[in-house]
Amino acid sequence: MDPLKSYFGRLLQEEISPMIMVRTTPLAEDACQKNGLNFVELLLPFSSFTKLNVPVRTANDQPYRIQLFKLRLAYACDIHLQNDEVAEEHLKQVVLDANQNILPHLTSEPPELQNLLKSRPRGYIYSWAIISSSDEKKTVLFRLNPIIAPSFGCEDRSNLTSCDFLSFPMESDLCPSWIETFNKELIRTVSFSEHETFDHPVACLFVVSSKDEQPINRFVDLLNTDQFPPLLNDGVMDPKILKHYLVLHDRQDGSPDKVSNILAEMRSTFGSNCKFLCINSAEARSDDGKDVPWMPYGSHILHRDNTARLLSREDINGVRDFMQDLSSNYIIPHMEQKIRILNQQVAATRRGFRNQIKNLWWRKGKEDAPESPDGPTYTFSSIESQIRVLADYAFMLRDYELALSNYRLLSTDYKLDKAWKRYAGVQEMTGLCSFMLDQSRKDSDYCMETAFTTYLKIGSSSQRNASRCGLWWAEMLKARGQYKDAANIYFRISNEEPSLHAAVMLEQASYCYLLSIPPMLRKYGFHLVLSGNRYYISDQRHHAIRAYRNALFVYRENGWSYISDHVHYNVGRWYSFIGVLDLAIKHMLEVLACSHQSLATQNVFLNEFFHVVQSMGKKFEVYNLRLPVINMASLKVFYEDFRTYASPSDVHVSENLWQSLEEELVPSATTSRSNWLDSQMKSSSRRNNDSAVCVVGEAVVVELEFQNPLQVAVPISEISLICSSSLNTPPPDGDFESPYNSDSSFMLSKLDVILETGETKRVEHLKLGIQLEVCPKMEGLLKITGVRWTLSDTVIGYRHFEFDMKGKQKKGRRDLSSLSTNLEFLVIKGLPKLEACIQHLPKKIFTGDLRPLLLELRNQSEFSVKNIKMKISHPRYLIPGNIEELNMDFPKYSENLESAVIKEAPATVIPNTKSFLFSFPDDAKVQGRACLTWPLWFHAGLTGKISLYVSIYYEVESCSNNMTYRILRMHHDLEILPSIDVSFNITPCKSSLHEFFVQMDIVNKTKSDSFSLHQLSSVGNMWEISALPTTLYICPVQTLLAGQALSCFFKLKDCRKNSSNEEHLSGCDLLMVSQDNKEVIDVSKSPMVEFHQFERHHQVKSSKMEAWAWKHSCFISLLHMKIYSEGLSANLTYSLFFLRYDDLLFFLTFLKGSGMLPVSVDSTSLPTVLPSLAEHFLKLFPSSIPSQSTLHIAPQLMVKLWGDLGKVDFILISKMAKTDPVIEPVERPKLLTNHTCHISISSNSPISWQMSGSRMINHDFSASFCEVGFHLRVQNCSDSVVSIRLVTYDVMPGRKHSEMAKLSDSSGNGSGWNDISLVNDIKVVSSVQGNRPKKLSMESQFPFIWCALSSTKLDLQPLSSSEIPLKICLFTPGTYDLSNYELHWELNPPERITGDLKTCTSGTVYGHPFYLTAIQLQH
Amino acid sequence: MIASVAVVGHQNNPLYLQSFTNANDALKLHHIVHCSLDVIDERVNNPKRSVSTLNESYLGLLYPTESYKVYGYLSNTKAKFLVVTTDLDVKDADIRSFFRRFHAAYVDAVSNPFHVPEKKIVSRTFAQRVSGIVKAFAAGTNG
Repeated sequence: MDPLKSYFGRLLQEEISPMIMVRTTPLAEDACQKNGLNFVELLLPFSSFTKLNVPVRTANDQPYRIQLFKLRLAYACDIHLQNDEVAEEHLKQVVLDANQNILPHLTSEPPELQNLLKSRPRGYIYSWAIISSSDEKKTVLFRLNPIIAPSFGCEDRSNLTSCDFLSFPMESDLCPSWIETFNKELIRTVSFSEHETFDHPVACLFVVSSKDEQPINRFVDLLNTDQFPPLLNDGVMDPKILKHYLVLHDRQDGSPDKVSNILAEMRSTFGSNCKFLCINSAEARSDDGKDVPWMPYGSHILHRDNTARLLSREDINGVRDFMQDLSSNYIIPHMEQKIRILNQQVAATRRGFRNQIKNLWWRKGKEDAPESPDGPTYTFSSIESQIRVLADYAFMLRDYELALSNYRLLSTDYKLDKAWKRYAGVQEMTGLCSFMLDQSRKDSDYCMETAFTTYLKIGSSSQRNASRCGLWWAEMLKARGQYKDAANIYFRISNEEPSLHAAVMLEQASYCYLLSIPPMLRKYGFHLVLSGNRYYISDQRHHAIRAYRNALFVYRENGWSYISDHVHYNVGRWYSFIGVLDLAIKHMLEVLACSHQSLATQNVFLNEFFHVVQSMGKKFEVYNLRLPVINMASLKVFYEDFRTYASPSDVHVSENLWQSLEEELVPSATTSRSNWLDSQMKSSSRRNNDSAVCVVGEAVVVELEFQNPLQVAVPISEISLICSSSLNTPPPDGDFESPYNSDSSFMLSKLDVILETGETKRVEHLKLGIQLEVCPKMEGLLKITGVRWTLSDTVIGYRHFEFDMKGKQKKGRRDLSSLSTNLEFLVIKGLPKLEACIQHLPKKIFTGDLRPLLLELRNQSEFSVKNIKMKISHPRYLIPGNIEELNMDFPKYSENLESAVIKEAPATVIPNTKSFLFSFPDDAKVQGRACLTWPLWFHAGLTGKISLYVSIYYEVESCSNNMTYRILRMHHDLEILPSIDVSFNITPCKSSLHEFFVQMDIVNKTKSDSFSLHQLSSVGNMWEISALPTTLYICPVQTLLAGQALSCFFKLKDCRKNSSNEEHLSGCDLLMVSQDNKEVIDVSKSPMVEFHQFERHHQVKSSKMEAWAWKHSCFISLLHMKIYSEGLSANLTYSLFFLRYDDLLFFLTFLKGSGMLPVSVDSTSLPTVLPSLAEHFLKLFPSSIPSQSTLHIAPQLMVKLWGDLGKVDFILISKMAKTDPVIEPVERPKLLTNHTCHISISSNSPISWQMSGSRMINHDFSASFCEVGFHLRVQNCSDSVVSIRLVTYDVMPGRKHSEMAKLSDSSGNGSGWNDISLVNDIKVVSSVQGNRPKKLSMESQFPFIWCALSSTKLDLQPLSSSEIPLKICLFTPGTYDLSNYELHWELNPPERITGDLKTCTSGTVYGHPFYLTAIQLQH
Repeated sequence: MIASVAVVGHQNNPLYLQSFTNANDALKLHHIVHCSLDVIDERVNNPKRSVSTLNESYLGLLYPTESYKVYGYLSNTKAKFLVVTTDLDVKDADIRSFFRRFHAAYVDAVSNPFHVPEKKIVSRTFAQRVSGIVKAFAAGTNG
């Protein structure tokens, strides 16, 4: 770019131009003042010429033409260095003037980056291209300007692949125009200094009015040098300057005739430099100057009222002609001439080798001269001053070559003289010349740098000069496109200037960063902030706001909250200072949620905010107020349609859980939906399918999480929902929905909270879930749109629920449609609603606790409900009782041995694995405003935490709505603590085939509670408990302290033989208490027996299936559809299976019965009839499944019937010892029952045997040997056929004892403790077990001989017994141990189950000791 | 002495910024770090960058102000590491080794499976390690 045509080039041409000194008489000024102008102002518009076209010849002989030319005019009295204070005031005024203009901008939106970068360029076209060069794959921005583009390394255009042109902003678009003015004014403050001559007047213009008396004398007065500026009088500049004389004639004072006389007189006195100018020829007009001819020239001063009223077109032309004449005919020739003269002088004294040597020599001699800050003084006649004048004149006449050479010449001189200020001035001009000549950048930069630093070095006196130099330098760099460097210069200037000036400089620096390539946005922002800060310091709040606002978009970048908070906060504060409160609040809002700031800062922010809001004087509504933080993802809506909830916590239970619980409960078709096609049809056919249903008078609850991000507690009041509602019924005028007056159609809850801070010790902040309610009062549509709250009683915030968030959980709704529809409710008319609670249900319960509870159903509405049904998720824990039990005293009611009648368990008890359905009797209706109570039984079966779910179904009587039923859901979480743990180990009694020893191990697992043992019962009439003969009570103590373990022993008698096939639950009880409380609790009564069923069922589940299925006869392999019957017993067991097609699980129920089956089946025919049998059973009973059968899901497809042989169930009943006063009476358990089921009586051999015969014989051995006969009764305890081989030994094999020991060890692990016990309990147990007496081995004293057979083999059918006759021969009297026989047994199932059954199928057992004493018969 | 260290994510979002001066100059340091990002952008995108510096993570002196010097380091994942020092003459090698250790600490911190990428680093271990590195650096330059 041509430097002359750049902004800076033009600026230099304007600013460094010939100065004309003006002196006027007061009368001449008066004439001008009639137009509201002074004389200089009158001439000023015509002092610059764009097309002067004057030939100029300076030192060079070659003339050139000047087009652009400007004269500067100044009154003589103004030509002096400005006072500092005056200059400051003047500059401040410039800034203040700008204030008025920016105020409207401040209320508009701050600029965005896009707007900044896209703003249209005006005037000069700056284009940018994004170049993707194929080789580097990089994006380069460069300016498509032939001069500047090379500087960005894009000379080679050939590799451009794609160009995308963007328009880029010019500086003038960004930078407010007043800044330009400010720069100029700042530069002008250093005008007329001594060390530079371009400000020194070139000519002097003397003006005298034609009205003046004796004009010639007036001119002489004006010529008086006393009133000339000090520059001329001090000898700094040549007092012999060009003089020009002008007579000013006011046409209103008469015709210009007499002026010609004056002119002639003047010419004779002063020579030809005399002119005449006529003004005020126009008529005085009163209208506002629409067509004032002055208009185009002086718009900047036209605001004064009477400006240029009297100037006609001719006058203006006269002024213009005068100025043109002055410049082209007088000023320029004068300067040309002076240049030539000076050039000759300089050439004579300084050019040439001789002169240079001389100069050097002479300069060196002055080295020891004292150094003064300004260097030596130079008068106008000194050669240095003359060179300077020459150079400056050459510069002004555009002969930059000449100027440059002279500046260079001069700079060495000044440097040697240490005249630093002059040196700096010359360097500055050298730099400018280099720029104008478009010479090396390095040179010009170097010169400017030297000038700048030199000025600074001198000290405060030339600080402003440094600023001027810097401004020029920056402009120079900007003209070359080096914006970044320019910004640096501005920054350097700002360090030297007072804060206001620094602010302006920093602002300019920021614009430079924005214009640099690529734009440096962050530095832009930073410098704006710095600038704003300086503005604020110097009380320019408007400008401060402007700067900060412009910077805002930079910090919107993610994460730089520290800075953006600072900016927003200050902008807000300053807005409040200047009274723009709404914007102040707007910015303050941005910093409210400043969790990352320190506590003090948060306090400051909050207080300032509230202060501003209060000064606003009214409540302020803010959309999306940031405090508190609302976690929209936590939004949950709870409402009750046909589902109602007993307590708010029940709502949180997953809907699926409820639905599966209610499967059999709900009659409507909605539950039978089996595939997606179904559901779609249903939802489309629904009448108001897109909105949920709620009931008049029943609140819809919205739960929302509020969060205080600050460390300051924030009070929030009047939190409520924003709702709208409309009537559903069509009004008469035809509109379907009309907005309804919201006041009466619903009721909103209001909530006040104080959001506490997260304390200092905790980092995470407190979250607060807040439940808001809206209660519809009319039928129609209700829509929840948002939430509103009041912060600190001053600011109302509101927020609409946004519906685009995904993954939102919403309870109480089946199909998860979008939230927008979920917040719309169809309000239907009021329905009855049951409320329920379970009374006296403690949160913590000991295992085994059995207690009555009370279910209370209340109907708050007017309508009555009927057909109540209840479903309980865990019938093991909770079952409904009978209405008669309502007023009974528990546990007294159970202690009634006399009235214990044999009764069957209630038929309704279905030991189902899933849940339990209970229908209230038909007459159980709940009338309006009535209450129904129903007993429930609770038994804490298993240790751990459990959630009980109860659904109560009821139908609405006389209801016209489409909602005919409702469901009440209840949910309770309980913790069941460990109490007493019981384990049994049964070993067959050696002395009797039908008696067993039972070891009962009891451990109190509580920490501090003790229990008194009350009673031990066996279930079923097949077993009889009795104490061992030596003890009265089976248990040595009655109270079990915390942590105590106890082992008891007692006897169990098998009564199965003499019982009929009819089993019932009467059982056999053994009291364990010794003294007072003798009542025996009947375990066959209502709650106990049901719970036992469930316990038994669940305990089956936990036992090991495989061994168990093997040991007990009956199993079905469903894969082969084969079944083995229970043997040859008359009570044939039949089987039934259920097949559920959907989940392919097989349910098998075994039942005992005879009359149920139409066909007689035996073990061989059963497999073939099984399919038809199953079908038959399916038809036969869906409901009446006998209570004694157990249902089981067998994953390995093997199923076992309960109720068969060899299984004992015990119930241990204990009471809480009355020692601990801590537990409340309600919480205290009255009775604890421990159910231990399925304890096997069989040992690990399937047979038991007993030798019978005489123990003592008298025989005369002297006569003969003695033959003794015995019987060995062998019983098969197993469910399959056992083949037995009896082997007798006369001499015992040596290995017998070791094997026996091994056997007893393994049997110790075989049964007894269930596998659920904890590790430390096992320790207790094993120590108990260790005390058990081991079998003593006895050695036989004398040999005896087995007679008859030595080996017998026989097969035993299941549960049958057989007697084997044995005989021995004795030869001497003595005591004999007849245990030296072995029984080898082998199980023979008809078809062997292959695979993984681990139970042994054969084994050997050794004989029991049997002592026979033979005594010699004495005759 | 190191006045401040910072980690800035590849979208120029601050991940970690810790100042080690006692004065209340957090805002100033934030500004300085933020501004330095401009210089990093410029360095990285400069087409004139020579091949030897192209593969170099260490970016050198970014932003000399009158009282601070900012040095930069750019990882391959475009995470930027910045150090603001008050020492006006620091050996390049010292700074380089400092950045290497700083980078290693950062890598360990973000390797934590619970760290969310491009979120602020809240690890206390990382903070301790960084202050350890800073202390070591101070000891190294003084001694």
